[in-house]
Amino acid sequence: MTDDQRLGSPPIEPLSEAAWTRVERGVWSQLDAERPAGSPPPGPRRWWLVAAPLAAAAAVAVLLIAVRRAPTAFDEPSRVVTGAAPSSVLFGDSHIELDAATALVMRREADHPTVTLERGAAWFTVAPRLSRPAFIVRAGDAMVRVVGTKFRVLRSEERIAVEVDHGLVDVNFRGSEVAIGGGQRWSSDAPGRIIAAAAPPPAVEPVPPAPATGEPPPEVPAAPGPTPAPARPHRPARPAHPAAGSADARPEPAPGSASAAPQVDRDGAEYDRLAALEASSPGAALTGYLALARGTSRWADPALFAAARLAVDRHDARAGTLLGIYLQRFPRGANAADARQLLAHLQSEKRDKP
Amino acid sequence: MPTDMVVGFPASATREHDLELARRAATGDRVAQRELFVEQRANVHRALFRILGSNREIEDLLQDAFIEIFKAVGSFRGDSTLGRWCQTIAIRVAYLAISRRRPPSVELALVEETIASDTDVRRHVQIREAARRLYAALDRIEAKQRIAFALAAIDGKSLAEVAELTSSSVFAVKTRVWRARRELMRRAGKDAVLAAYLDDLKEVSHDR
Repeated sequence: MTDDQRLGSPPIEPLSEAAWTRVERGVWSQLDAERPAGSPPPGPRRWWLVAAPLAAAAAVAVLLIAVRRAPTAFDEPSRVVTGAAPSSVLFGDSHIELDAATALVMRREADHPTVTLERGAAWFTVAPRLSRPAFIVRAGDAMVRVVGTKFRVLRSEERIAVEVDHGLVDVNFRGSEVAIGGGQRWSSDAPGRIIAAAAPPPAVEPVPPAPATGEPPPEVPAAPGPTPAPARPHRPARPAHPAAGSADARPEPAPGSASAAPQVDRDGAEYDRLAALEASSPGAALTGYLALARGTSRWADPALFAAARLAVDRHDARAGTLLGIYLQRFPRGANAADARQLLAHLQSEKRDKP
Repeated sequence: MPTDMVVGFPASATREHDLELARRAATGDRVAQRELFVEQRANVHRALFRILGSNREIEDLLQDAFIEIFKAVGSFRGDSTLGRWCQTIAIRVAYLAISRRRPPSVELALVEETIASDTDVRRHVQIREAARRLYAALDRIEAKQRIAFALAAIDGKSLAEVAELTSSSVFAVKTRVWRARRELMRRAGKDAVLAAYLDDLKEVSHDR
């Protein structure tokens, strides 16, 4: 047989990166699972007395390694795993609180601090990125992009959920992108929907401080009825007042709850404080409005709209997103008409730009 | 046959690097473990692919191999390169997997000749078909003989290298390769494609 006719050894067929990722994930998972078992075997009846501290110690050891390596800017990936107890870790100037039984990998991808959530759940408190590359969290097919906020990502197998405490995040899921604001939650089970972080209880009429007996507030019709007299003076330049009646009004704490009435008052007082702050410190007022909007009280609607309106006034890049979030969250809210007008105005401005 | 594996006796710098990486990985440092994984994954994959003949069941074995590597990495003393040490473990994992397998019940099926006009395409198809028949026949051969044949006759390693990787003597390896070839030729029977391919591999290994 001549050289030309020889077939030679069959070529090594390369393995895809997806397959390597599966292999790598499997290796780390199995090593994590075997770690406590690799420790000296405890007595048969008191194994849990030893296993729990060992698991905690292993988690702390991994965390210490991760924390110690933080100043090296995570040029190399670093994996953090929690055992039976939750824990926290710093990633640059961002703080990550891991639930129990959570595993994540921290690395830099093209200068973006990137966290891959392998399993479990974690809260991320991300310092404002300003001009720095966005902070990214990957979980399954979902990618969460952050410019500065506090949010939570949960992963169970390939099901992903994102909950935003305050600020804004963009979630890219299989090619579609949604913006999630404070007090909102998104799940891969219904990727087109954004819901309030709290479970959606029946809509209730905003009520004055509840009596000590805690009578449940009356229900309101699905469509807004005649606007009742506002409990506070309505200012045309300000967002419609919570008491103006909205089918999307958020529920108050459960009737009978000792904190229900004081919470309403606190939020109302906070709203007025922020309104007064707008002239002297609009940035702080906007941040405050966003914090208020993350709640589920009736003040969330005007606070979110106020934040959006301030962002428009200040030519803040978040204005369009905030208005979009407002309309998603309060499509029939007291400020919905104004929000639509502002959004249309923003869009026309964008179109007119050369 | 050129090989891109990092094998053989380590140079001083390589040895220091390997020892340091192994030491860090043995402490459970996940960064070091991942570095080792990335460095050695091609080596481990190559060894397993040569023995198995395809990527069909390779993911589980790769996972098993790396878990064994990380469990044993504390015992690495730098007597060979880390690459060869990892291959030794991968080969052991493959041996255990093949030993546990039941031989296939279906006889080697002959397929129709593929017609292709382009020379490279035809050659590629021929290699794939020949390799498919070869590994189907290897499935019926004793595990140690199969591994020796795969590493020596298919991957082109010297008998001494195979002996080191399989913790055997050169004589034992030579015997296994010879027995495997004889059994393969017997099984090839009237399969001209496989018989020709075995000859082809024999000539290539003689050329080395």
